[in-house]
Amino acid sequence: MAEARYVQPDMTLMRKAYARWAPVYDLVYDGITAPARRDAVNAALACGRDILEVGVGTGLSLGDYPVNARVTGVDLSAHMLKRAVEKAKKNHWSHVKLLAVMDACRLGFADATFDAVVAQFLITLVPHPEAALDEMLRVLRPGGEIVLANHFGVPDGPVARVEEAVAPLASRLGWSSAFKARRIEDWAKARNDVEVLSLTSAFPLGFFKVLRLRKKG
Amino acid sequence: MTNEPTSPANPASDEPSVAEGTRVDPKLLEILVCPLTKANLEYDAARQELISRPAKLAYPIRDGIPIMLPEEARSIE
Repeated sequence: MAEARYVQPDMTLMRKAYARWAPVYDLVYDGITAPARRDAVNAALACGRDILEVGVGTGLSLGDYPVNARVTGVDLSAHMLKRAVEKAKKNHWSHVKLLAVMDACRLGFADATFDAVVAQFLITLVPHPEAALDEMLRVLRPGGEIVLANHFGVPDGPVARVEEAVAPLASRLGWSSAFKARRIEDWAKARNDVEVLSLTSAFPLGFFKVLRLRKKG
Repeated sequence: MTNEPTSPANPASDEPSVAEGTRVDPKLLEILVCPLTKANLEYDAARQELISRPAKLAYPIRDGIPIMLPEEARSIE
């Protein structure tokens, strides 16, 4: 199979698109993503209380955390984050510590700040996934985990060809099939301070997967 | 939000959070550094800005949300 094409989205266009999406996002995403979100949150909580969610969006997953967690959320879209702030206030989520607008590739946190870094339905969308992963690893304490929940395209075979065919549609939803988990595994292999722990399928039918990476040390 | 219900079983209940007030608690901002230089930031409560001296940038806080993007920041001397 030829090297999968992956069109890098323009950041300004992305921010405009998310501003448009914000009102309906929750209705569309909530039901179908809930099981994968819970798997990701549980993996993060096993690492400790201090958790960063990159691409927290409208804050759907913030309700999945217990009150004794300390969750910081970042997103590129201020429109989405406003909704997350409204949710936190309405639901009295005292575990949500700070929500800030940030670029995943330029995180405004010191090294080794968090026990776990969670990114759900994000890594296939960012223009420079490896740069985003570098930053996530930097702000993670040694022994902590990066937890990615996403749709990842299957490596090859007939399913892969079907996925390639519908890629333009799926990529609009952030479920790019051209983006393989192998790209993240390759990133991890090229560094000596991170290891892939597991890649597991989440309900429904394994469409979403949870990829866990551990920072060595 | 000052009378929000808290559980005695919740060890984090006395700590500030997004759920309280309209202005972000300065204590919560201490976790932030400049996304460009990774230097510590100064909090300007009056202007609602986070100042990075090495980057010569002031990042705005709008509706309690710090906007940590250099392209949205104000250039300073």
